[in-house]
Amino acid sequence: MALYSFLAALIPLNNYGHFIHWHWLYISYANFIVICLMVITFVAALLLPFPGHNRRKGNR
Amino acid sequence: MSTTRFRPDVDAPEYKGGYSPYDIIKEGTIAIVVVGILVVLLAVVFGSPDEPAITIKKWSNAAPIDFATTALSELNGTSLSASYGAPYNHNGPGQQLGPLALARWVGVRIPINSANDFVINPLRSQPNNPVLKASLTAWEKARASTRSTWVANYTKVAGRMTFTHGNVVVPATNAGPVPVLINDLTHMARTGALDTALLSGNGFYTTDYTKPLLFIADGSYLGSLAQKQHMLGDQWGMMNETGSYPGQPWLWLYTFWYQVPPMNSSHSGDLEVFAIMIVLTLVLFFLPLIPGLRAIPRKVKLYRVIWREHYRDT
Repeated sequence: MALYSFLAALIPLNNYGHFIHWHWLYISYANFIVICLMVITFVAALLLPFPGHNRRKGNR
Repeated sequence: MSTTRFRPDVDAPEYKGGYSPYDIIKEGTIAIVVVGILVVLLAVVFGSPDEPAITIKKWSNAAPIDFATTALSELNGTSLSASYGAPYNHNGPGQQLGPLALARWVGVRIPINSANDFVINPLRSQPNNPVLKASLTAWEKARASTRSTWVANYTKVAGRMTFTHGNVVVPATNAGPVPVLINDLTHMARTGALDTALLSGNGFYTTDYTKPLLFIADGSYLGSLAQKQHMLGDQWGMMNETGSYPGQPWLWLYTFWYQVPPMNSSHSGDLEVFAIMIVLTLVLFFLPLIPGLRAIPRKVKLYRVIWREHYRDT
């Protein structure tokens, strides 16, 4: 438990959040980062080749 | 022999290309293990939101004037919950969608009499307090018009209310037992007894927090805390989590409707947003049957990017 608290204290997130407020956009940095990671993952899933694709192609 | 015209959004041409083996069980297992490890690691490094619960005890100790003023609004019937309507009472229109009074049709399912449920009944549970007992007796024996006069007189001077030496103090006025009721309820709240009284009145199991939540929400203390955490409705609060933690960004569409007129100022905003989301959900549900919308994937051609090697070969 103490180890868990120690590790969790490495990056404390219990302080009040920071927000991006630009015209109509009003979003927390944390949510914005998560959305960016999701978009990056989605684009990577589209563009990166399937693992093992070359091997399967060779077997065809 | 008749030939049927090929419908591009409905009919699928027969696939004549090659096939590859694909182990979906293996991929699913790998995905679960990787995500599980990520969840554990991120939880260890970042912790988790651990905001302590807000109780009436905490509220009344942090903001006794706000608590006493809210208790008065429960007594004089001006609080949000006292004037809300169905499902709590008949004192307001409740949520309605244009001419459709849906909440009223469902009826008062959780009856709340603000004065009795939040003030009088909890005070009755207090033992060994002759002054309070006499005040409750005076309140119960008084006519409704007399009670209204007392509460109205107290309300007139409530703007000059102070909290001095642990007591709620207002300028002298003909308010009958009301000063004692408000002061003793504040004492009760500050010890935590009111939290217990509002829970224990709901039967054997004490998991129904409806009454304490309504009472707390009627004050301004909860709203001020929510504002600091960016959780109010006009702060896209549904998406946010306490502290600097990421929240629920996938709820953006629900909370978006609360930011635009007329939902952002409507008494029935919740029901209006609910209706919009039901319509949008039905559109999504029946998407394959809606001409035009169902053609979007075919016209955007994103599938040709995903399966680009196949389309490059053919």
